[in-house]
Amino acid sequence: MVLLKQIKLLTTGYNQFVLITEQVMELVRESNIKNGMVHVITKHTTTGITVNESLECLESDIEEFLARLVPEHFPYAHARMLPDYGSTAGNPTGHLKAHLTGNHCHFVISDGDVLKGDAGRAL
Amino acid sequence: MFIDMHVHPAFFEPINEDAGVEQLRHDVLNIHKNGTAPLEHIFNQMKCASLDRLCLLPEDYSTQVGRAIVTNEEIRKLLDLAPDKFIGFAGADPYDVKAAEKLEYAFTELKLSGLKLHPSRQHFYPNDAILGPLIEICERYNKPIIFHSGLSIEPNTYTKYARPTEFEELAANHPNLRICLAHFGWPWVQETAMLMLKYPNVYADTGLLYFDNAYEFYERVFHQDMPVTWIDRSLRHQVMFGSNNPRFEQIRMADAITKLGFRDSTLELIKGGNALEFLNGR
Repeated sequence: MVLLKQIKLLTTGYNQFVLITEQVMELVRESNIKNGMVHVITKHTTTGITVNESLECLESDIEEFLARLVPEHFPYAHARMLPDYGSTAGNPTGHLKAHLTGNHCHFVISDGDVLKGDAGRAL
Repeated sequence: MFIDMHVHPAFFEPINEDAGVEQLRHDVLNIHKNGTAPLEHIFNQMKCASLDRLCLLPEDYSTQVGRAIVTNEEIRKLLDLAPDKFIGFAGADPYDVKAAEKLEYAFTELKLSGLKLHPSRQHFYPNDAILGPLIEICERYNKPIIFHSGLSIEPNTYTKYARPTEFEELAANHPNLRICLAHFGWPWVQETAMLMLKYPNVYADTGLLYFDNAYEFYERVFHQDMPVTWIDRSLRHQVMFGSNNPRFEQIRMADAITKLGFRDSTLELIKGGNALEFLNGR
């Protein structure tokens, strides 16, 4: 059995972590699936999904880590008029940060609940 | 006060309830894969760009495509949804026999703040007599006009109609009419600067990002194509920040404009002071 559910999020910051663990767990409970896998995948190529501990200090470290690897000011090639869009590409940093985090995470569903470590959170 | 004087709301969610109209907008404006934006998203984007107000510009090519791409009534609808965040301009198709009547209605009943015209797309020269009735109404109601100038990425546009020097007769013959050459007339930015130097009723906005990223392109135009001192010393009362969103990058342009080395007092004029004078008169 495959069940597809969507979560729509509006971010409010230029770079932002959004904790979605509870929403994923709630959707798994609502699904009545007792054993299996939940795959959490983002559709947008400038958003990433990762699993880590959601501590203020760690989120700050992850944000600075990504910023060091992908500085805002750099001669990226993805900075030009895109004919297919009719608009200018200006978000190479979003794409590259998403590339580093990946676009998905997976959890095991066991006895109707998400199996994860106590500290694991989906961001 | 930080104002973006050049925003096209064609894909704002509240005026895109009809999928056919939305598709028409994608096709005519040549903007694709962007979806529609709920106002909450627009407000978040404003916050990221530190913008206080957006000036919403419609497009009326009704004699060519059968309806205005964004109507004046839709601009009014958006203003009513966020009167503290939006400023609204009217559109008019000069070839529409009812254009003057519609424009007067837009000023008197819809309370719109100015007129937006696109010579390249609407296929008229700025000194064409066909504009006479619209100019007379703008002068009578003390409303400014924003003209597209320079390159347009829209289909069915001809750049010849919007070269900055084409606006000289209009500026000279109507010294009390405030006009803005949008996109700084790129690539003819020196022609635009020439007109601004000669005619104090000529303004320009910074909605230009045709190559590279926001800072790189602004640096090219405002440091190399002209020295930064031209604006900072001589044209500082006539330049307004504009992003041309959604075609260009509003957040990054709003950031880049602050990094070009203008004096703080000049930057404040570009960010909002000049827009208020352009809208209300000196």
